[in-house]
Amino acid sequence: MAIKTILCIEDDRFIGEMYVRSLHKAGYDVDWMVDGNDGLVAARNKPYDLILLDVMLPERRGSEILQSLRGNGEDLIPNTKVIVMTNFDQDEESRLAMQANVDAYLIKADITPKKLLSVIEKLR
Amino acid sequence: MAVKKSNNNPPAMVRDYWPRFKKRAVMLTILMQVAVTIVIGCALIAGGVLTTSIVFWIILIAILATTIGVNVILLTLLTLPFKDLTSARTHVSGEPTDVTPPNPNARHFEQDGFKPILQLIYALALGSTTEKSSDAAGSQLPLASITTALDNTDVGFIIMDESGQVTYANPKAPTHTDPNGKQVIDLLFDDDFTLEVWLKDCEQHAVHAEHTWKRVPNKVTGEEGRKIYDVTASYQKGSTAEVVVSLFDRSSDYQPDDDDLDFIAFAAHELRGPITVIRGYLDVFGDEVGDKLDADQSELLKRLVVSANRLSGYINNILNASRYDRRHLKVHLVEDSLTYIYDSIKDDMELRASSQSRVLSVHFPDDLPTVAADANSASEVLSNLIDNALKYSNEGGAVNVTATQEGNFVSVSVEDHGIGMPGNVVSNLFHKFYRSHRSRETVSGTGIGLYISKAIVESHGGKIGVRSAEGEGSTFTFSLPIYSTVADKLKASNNSNEGLINHTDGGWIKNHAMFRG
Repeated sequence: MAIKTILCIEDDRFIGEMYVRSLHKAGYDVDWMVDGNDGLVAARNKPYDLILLDVMLPERRGSEILQSLRGNGEDLIPNTKVIVMTNFDQDEESRLAMQANVDAYLIKADITPKKLLSVIEKLR
Repeated sequence: MAVKKSNNNPPAMVRDYWPRFKKRAVMLTILMQVAVTIVIGCALIAGGVLTTSIVFWIILIAILATTIGVNVILLTLLTLPFKDLTSARTHVSGEPTDVTPPNPNARHFEQDGFKPILQLIYALALGSTTEKSSDAAGSQLPLASITTALDNTDVGFIIMDESGQVTYANPKAPTHTDPNGKQVIDLLFDDDFTLEVWLKDCEQHAVHAEHTWKRVPNKVTGEEGRKIYDVTASYQKGSTAEVVVSLFDRSSDYQPDDDDLDFIAFAAHELRGPITVIRGYLDVFGDEVGDKLDADQSELLKRLVVSANRLSGYINNILNASRYDRRHLKVHLVEDSLTYIYDSIKDDMELRASSQSRVLSVHFPDDLPTVAADANSASEVLSNLIDNALKYSNEGGAVNVTATQEGNFVSVSVEDHGIGMPGNVVSNLFHKFYRSHRSRETVSGTGIGLYISKAIVESHGGKIGVRSAEGEGSTFTFSLPIYSTVADKLKASNNSNEGLINHTDGGWIKNHAMFRG
């Protein structure tokens, strides 16, 4: 399934704009949410092909959003791919817990927009 | 009186003193009385008493017998306390003796006030020979109070005999009893110069010596009850306490607590934010305006990219080192090929080489077996070694990266033809924050890269090492286990954690902890 629509949940304005700009240029439809609550609502209401999820977010952490969407033994977004993108050095346990439910777990500082595009390409 | 004369020959044993003293005193008394009697005899003769008279002899013998009798009785009475003191000392000295030790609770000792003197002698002896009765001996007594102090102090004390066997350890000293019932010291020395090695050295070359080790932990990082000591050992040849080790608990100074881990994690998060933007926009910039730049401007852009990439690498090193120090560094070994691992850093490394005018050539044989590796960590090792090789090379210098199969391992070597290192530098190279005197002057860096590289390689079960000649260059080598040799072990240990072991083809991103750009 080709990825067309993307939800980016990212509170850093510079970083968010950077991704949105590159993804737009590459032809994707991108919605950008800044806080965790808005991000969770958007993810529930619209069937995105891909969610780019930050961890350290205002209102609601990325790990909580993932828990609401995919925890409790029920997958509310079965047709959506999820990439966690964080600069926060999570402890082993939290990181593994998130990794188990997502398609990729990336460190933002190590990923340029170009690299992000190539990762998304490989998710297809 | 004669008995008050001092004795110039101290006895070898305490118990021998009293009989000898008594014998001499009695002999002296008799001799003196004979002399006195002779003087009296002379006086009588001068006074007109005839030596042929029976009265003369009767008087002389009577005087001699009476004075000797009286003096011996006096002698016995007057030296009685001295005798008791001596027998008490004989008793506490531990020498075998038939003499009954004087009982301080006897009525006459209580009456004449001799009791506290005897008690003092016994108490002093108790304090020095019996550890358990320190409380009974009373805290005002020197030896007893030393034992109490050793039990209560936070400083660890260990005494060892000439065979290196622990003969005493106070409660704060980190020791345990091994299955053979021997007391063993728990200290993890940083390098090969351990307490044991030092002791052997002392036995051969020293009469008196002292040595201090700093930052010596008793347990590995993360283990419960870990403490970090400054350890001072002193050696005195021939003494019953040949080695005395004092251990000062410096854990609070040396062992930052979990708050610091959080601090490092948060600091890294803050630092990574701006780096993300810098690297990201440099990437965008290169794409969008790259072909409009002239050669000079392209070179400047390239340097910006290289510097931003390096900065990002350093932050990862700091985070890894901090994790490693707390035993939080974990590697997830999956089947991977060196080519894949290198691919993730290839662009960055080539850029770094060209921006510094070095010639980087990386060649991994096609038939190289796959390795069990944590791709991110392994790429950090490779990146650290290549980065060092580039840094310490000369203008236009070649850096060659190759790999060969060696037994159950794939051995990767990174060779440069740069400034090289003398032997004394090589031995310290993998220590944290170690930088040789010269490299400090000529090349920037934190000295943390090799430290964390060693930690990562060893976490893989591999080894890292270096061959170097000053002025000729260095070759760093590290090994990673061949996947097929450890596959069974890995699968067994990860059954509960499905997906950790996976082939590099198909769904490879999912099984990697992180993807590095």
